[in-house]
Amino acid sequence: MAKDSQPILNVAGVDKTYEGAVRPALDRISFSVEPGEFFSILGPSGSGKTTLLRLIAGFERPDIGRIIIDGEDVTHVPPFRRDVRTVFQSYALFPHMSVLENVAYPLRMAGARKAERMAKAQEGLELVSMGEFAARLPHQLSGGQRQRVALARAIVCRPRILLLDEPLGALDLRLRQQMQHVLVSLQRELGIAFVYVTHDQGEALSMSDRVAVMSEGRIAQLGTPREIYFDPSSEFVAQFVGCSNLLPIEFVTRGSEVTAMLGGQPLAGLDAPRGDAGSRAGPARMAVRFECVRLGAPGEPANGACSLEGTVEDVLFLGNALEVNVRCGEMSIIAHVPSTGGEGAAPGQRVRVMFEPDNATVFHG
Amino acid sequence: MADIATEAVEAGTMATPVARPLRLRSFSMLGWPVYAWFVALVLVPNLLLIGTSFLRTSNGLIVFDPSVASYLRLWNSASFQWLLMRTLATSAAAAVLGCLIAYPMAYYAARVVQRGRSVLIVLVIIPLWISLLMRVFAWRMILGQNGILNSFLVNSGILDQPSEAFLYTGFSVLLTYTYISIPFAFIAIFTALEKIPHSLIEASQDSGASAWQTFRHVVWPLSRPGVAIGFALAFLTTVGDYITPSMVGGIDGTMIGMVIASQFGIANNWPYGSAIAVCLMVSAGLVLAFVMWLGQTKGVLMGDEGAKPPSSRAPRTPGERLLRAGAAVAFAVPYLFLYAPLAIMMLMSFNDSSVQAFPLQGMTLRWYVELAQNDAMLEAVQRSLVVGFTVVLVSTVAATGFAFAIHYGRVRQPRFFEFALALPVAIPGVVLGIVMVLATQLAHIPSGVPRTVIGQASFVMPVILMVILARLRRLDGALLEASMDAGANHWQSFVHVLFPSIRGAVIGGALLGFTLSADDVMVTLFLSGTSPTLPIWVWNQMRFGFTPSVNAIFTLVGVGSLLIILLCNRLLFRGPSRGNGSAS
Repeated sequence: MAKDSQPILNVAGVDKTYEGAVRPALDRISFSVEPGEFFSILGPSGSGKTTLLRLIAGFERPDIGRIIIDGEDVTHVPPFRRDVRTVFQSYALFPHMSVLENVAYPLRMAGARKAERMAKAQEGLELVSMGEFAARLPHQLSGGQRQRVALARAIVCRPRILLLDEPLGALDLRLRQQMQHVLVSLQRELGIAFVYVTHDQGEALSMSDRVAVMSEGRIAQLGTPREIYFDPSSEFVAQFVGCSNLLPIEFVTRGSEVTAMLGGQPLAGLDAPRGDAGSRAGPARMAVRFECVRLGAPGEPANGACSLEGTVEDVLFLGNALEVNVRCGEMSIIAHVPSTGGEGAAPGQRVRVMFEPDNATVFHG
Repeated sequence: MADIATEAVEAGTMATPVARPLRLRSFSMLGWPVYAWFVALVLVPNLLLIGTSFLRTSNGLIVFDPSVASYLRLWNSASFQWLLMRTLATSAAAAVLGCLIAYPMAYYAARVVQRGRSVLIVLVIIPLWISLLMRVFAWRMILGQNGILNSFLVNSGILDQPSEAFLYTGFSVLLTYTYISIPFAFIAIFTALEKIPHSLIEASQDSGASAWQTFRHVVWPLSRPGVAIGFALAFLTTVGDYITPSMVGGIDGTMIGMVIASQFGIANNWPYGSAIAVCLMVSAGLVLAFVMWLGQTKGVLMGDEGAKPPSSRAPRTPGERLLRAGAAVAFAVPYLFLYAPLAIMMLMSFNDSSVQAFPLQGMTLRWYVELAQNDAMLEAVQRSLVVGFTVVLVSTVAATGFAFAIHYGRVRQPRFFEFALALPVAIPGVVLGIVMVLATQLAHIPSGVPRTVIGQASFVMPVILMVILARLRRLDGALLEASMDAGANHWQSFVHVLFPSIRGAVIGGALLGFTLSADDVMVTLFLSGTSPTLPIWVWNQMRFGFTPSVNAIFTLVGVGSLLIILLCNRLLFRGPSRGNGSAS
């Protein structure tokens, strides 16, 4: 995609409060999506992500703000005149129409001839490997198959934007992973911009070009999956995306130096807040991802890493990893260690907890 | 059939969680017909009733002179108060008896029976849709002096001569009311029991509760609202009934409905009749409010798993078998009670004798032949069909439009209007009859077919509306969005997606409406004037005395309604059926 190209979708300063609600569902939301981009909206339930999707599709109107598609203001354009298609969470396949008729429906509404729309619909079904199910009715399909049909119906007209509302929510783990590959390759092949709503951070990180993390009607952070994962801008993002230990630390002033203290021990190499020495001191919190925490024998040399002594409290076997909960004084620190090398971790054992300061993110104030 | 009825009950009475449908502020003009219908057929007629009750008559003419004369007269009339109390007590007792009989049946059907459940349900509900006149008439045949009960008792030597104790007493009214109440109570209780998830029963057993404790603390509290609704339906049907008391009641069995009817007939004192009607409505409303208050239960059932009886069970102990056999009997006996009168009447229609008594005299078709030669009756049949079709056409079109307007937020206060439009269904029959007389009189609509159509539409439309709304609410809200998303505008979405999805409900509702229209006596009697529909013609015939031809008519009407009902059930629940399986 060219850098200077016009964004395909622009959401500008959108507010939305439902009738009778106290809190706004959306609060000053602005972002834009480039043509052909895979854009995810990630957030817990109730964060406003589905409302945002419905605004883009045209099922709701914003209180203020504008929705611009390909340079055209569509804020007050009804859904059936927008070049946007949606894959519904419930799939919303028409129960009285066959699979082929379902997929041909948007073409029929666009006024395509019967022969043409049947051919195109069949083509669309082939694209999601559902060609042989054309004559079935929706209730004769499995969940994963319905999902594919819904997808075929949404892309059969080649919209410029495809909205997906937690489309994989109802599928089992294996199907979900399989469908992720289908979605990514389909998106590459068609060059359609995808706006993908999910509460599953794994899906958002694995497929997206960019991710917007939402919390309580606002965008908490917008960036590439890498930025979101390794450089969370807030405690909320750090906790919601991936799993992080959130540890209380204290900045203390020693002369002109400012040092971070964790559980009474100095931590080397952590960013201190800017400003004069007096205002820099004070409490703060530090996020460290589970998988960035290493375990070693007590007394093992730290080699510049932050380290703490503690006792293993419990161990969860996750298959590819062990989740070890270590109690260090007042705090509990969780470490993900490879299950093949972690035989040593057993409840009651004394261990040394270590992590690199580079992997820690500090939140002040 | 079961589903139609239960849906109607559910739609009418319970707050089902509704997915927030798409709301569009444009086209709110679609709400206007709803407001207009409400004003013309609900609000104004009822206000007229109240208004009329404050007028008085002089020399048989209504004087426009506001007064509380009618109410004063009622206040001072001990016999009126006694009659009102007796009417309420009889209807309430019948409704309670109906619930007592229907509860074990409903429990058995909802939670014990595993196969053929829908047949059992349909069998209980069928009598509900067969002409009220016919069912009451069957009882008269059984209880009368030359009736079947007496001829049996005399022939078997228990009595020396026919007893007069069975017919024309308060008892015969109570018996017939109870008979009428059972199907209503059954539907409502069955609906409630069926919704209780089996996991709750298991959880209760798992917590160490005995079968009785489970019933007492889990099943009963959860089904109590259903019992209250069943009571309410039965009570409302019988409290305004003037047909039953005048056919089987005699002097001792006079009910207030008859008094109201006579004020608009022979006695010709409309203000006084209106005042009694208002008193009846208010006191019936108080009784219902009290029962609903008794019936309420906290909380909302979550999940839609419903009753799933265990598929396999441990071998039963002899005690359990005895219990089950007892339950089966409690379940089966009411069926005899429900069907024996109808069966006897059909039998009599082929009996070669003009006396309604056993033993049968031989097989004949002469009563049917007699009917076929009766021009007045054929004319009445024709009129019934005309009225029925007109009513159904008007009501179905209105109900479909209203259902969409209400469901898709084109009406302000949709809950209120849904309730308000259904009000005529909840008004005692005799009161609705006079309410419609007042309204059509005011609008100078001639009596006969036009009046009958308007009067019947006022209670047929809400029933169809409930059926369609219930279907719309079960529809995935995303279907309309998916259609609009695919580029279809409102009208295209309606034609290609929404209407096909509810077509079965519309047709089923229309057929249901047709049976309601074709069977109605209570409202139509006030409105038809000199051009009777079939039930009214039959009613008039019966005043002049009895002929076995009536058996023949009712047999034909009964078989006819049965066919329509079966057809309508098919259409409603197997009809749209291409792909309906996934929804249910």
